[in-house]
This record gives sequence, structure tokens and C-alpha cells, in this order.
Amino acid sequence: MTDFDALLKRSFAEAHEPVDDGFTVKIEHAVVRREAALKIRNLAQTVGLAAAGATLLYGGYAVYGGFGQEVLGAAGIELARAHGALNSAPTVGATAQDVLQSIGTGMTQIMLMTAAALAGGAVLYRTTQD
Amino acid sequence: MAARGSLNLAEATEAALIVAAQARNQAAFSELVKRRQGWARALLRRMCQSHAEADDLAQEAFIKAWDKMSDLETPAAFPGWFRRIAVTTFLMAKRRQKAVFEEIDDASPIASEESSPEAAAGAKIDLEKALARLSDAERLCVTLNHGEGLSHGEIVEITGLPLGTVKSHVLRGTDKLRRLLEPQ
Repeated sequence: MTDFDALLKRSFAEAHEPVDDGFTVKIEHAVVRREAALKIRNLAQTVGLAAAGATLLYGGYAVYGGFGQEVLGAAGIELARAHGALNSAPTVGATAQDVLQSIGTGMTQIMLMTAAALAGGAVLYRTTQD
Repeated sequence: MAARGSLNLAEATEAALIVAAQARNQAAFSELVKRRQGWARALLRRMCQSHAEADDLAQEAFIKAWDKMSDLETPAAFPGWFRRIAVTTFLMAKRRQKAVFEEIDDASPIASEESSPEAAAGAKIDLEKALARLSDAERLCVTLNHGEGLSHGEIVEITGLPLGTVKSHVLRGTDKLRRLLEPQ
């Protein structure tokens, strides 16, 4: 180590800041505020999660109550039709057309249910991510 | 903030304070801040040119440390861990200020301190004033190398700068300091 390196090392070691109580107090206050904000955020998150879960359950119940049996019955019929069309179709083109027609008939109800489930899921996911 | 449990904060070891702070004991963290603030503020004052900015960054670094206390694996690692937070906070602040940190890669000529009145008169100026003559990048690398005793590799790890750049800044910064600090 050269003389200059030693001088530099000594200069750095001597450059020490005196304790400033005001600095510590500022950080204490900042930490207290931070912890309070964290508690509020956690509470809001819990409430949001509960609300999203309740919305999802209610939505599922409403969809099932309103359309459940009808949708399930329609889906069964459409499946049977599709199956029949596949078995009896004379050509590949006709089979495909019949299948598409069959699926299209029940698609509105199936999409409605899917959209409700996706919307509920998205609300729940967003709440857990905040 | 009231002391929690039977921990006597004034007499507790730093390791005990760190463990208590990891358990979200705010009083223990305050005591830790009290003990470490001199070092942290000095470190940041050497990197920044403004004392007020350095103190703001030190405060920000301590608050980040409070948020991340659970990430600290062992109390013995605290100095290095906190230093990394302080350096990252400094670098982020510089980027926020749109400081030209890209100049790190440049080969800018040494500032013309030879022409300054002090240098011309061969006057010995103190470390702080000498550091103020360096570029941000040089000051950062020199402070970490000479002030904190970090190797070039450790500086690369903390700052994310290329090894060649770090070496170059340490060399150039040290050379400038030599000319400014050594009595003629």
C-alpha cells in the first residue's frame, strides 16, 4: 500500500457523520406511517376478497337458478344431436355443417355461463393481486 | 415507539436488534438506525454532491431496509446488505433525475482540476471537496473501493456496471484524488 493509499483510507475513515437524532425520528415516523398504511391495505384487501367471493357465489347461484337445468338439458340434447349427425352424415362436409349447427344452437347459453364465470374469476384474481 | 419484550435496546447487540427488527419490532429498528445512520449518511454524502439529497436517500434506504428486513438471511450480513440497498437507492435517484449515468461508459477526459486555483497553488483540499470534483460514476466507484473496501468484482455486482468500466473509474478517480489531496 502506497502512502497515498494509506492517506485515502484514513481520509475515508475520518469522514464519519455525527449522529443526528432528527434523522432517526424522521425514520421512526415514516415507519409508523408505513405500518398503518399496510394495515389499512390489508384490511381493504380482505374486504375486497370477501366481496369478490360473495359476488362470484351469488353470480353462480343466479346463473344456475335461472338457466341451470335448461342449459344442462339443452347441452345434453345438443350433444346427442351432434353425435347423431356425426353417425348419420353422408359426407364429411355435411357432418361438419350439422355439428356446427348443433353446437351453435346451444352456444349462446354456454357462452353466457362461461362469461359469468370468467368475470367472477377476473374480479377475484384482481382483488388478490392488489 | 415503545420497546417490546425484555430487549434492552441501548445495550443490545446489533445482531439482537436486527433479529428483533425482523420480527417487526419498530423500537429495535429505530435503535439500529441510530447506530448505523452515521455510516449510512457518510456513505451517501460521499456519493452525492448535496448533503440534503444524501440524507433523503439515506432515509429512503432505511425505509426500504425496514420493508425488506425479512430478506436478510443473517444479522452478520447486514452491512453489505444495507450498502447494496443504499447504492441501489442512489442509482435509482440518479436515473430519476435523468443524470447522464451512461457517461460511465465514456472516455471523458479528466476534468481540468489542474487549472483550478487550489491545484495550481498546490493546496491540499479535504476529501469531500476532492470527491466533488469527480464525476458521479467515478465518485461512486472510488467511494465503494477505497471507502468501503470493496473489490472491483463486488462493485460490479452492486452497481451492475461492466468490470472494465469500474476499473477505469476507480483508476481515474483515484488519480484525480491523488492530484487533489497529495501535498505538492
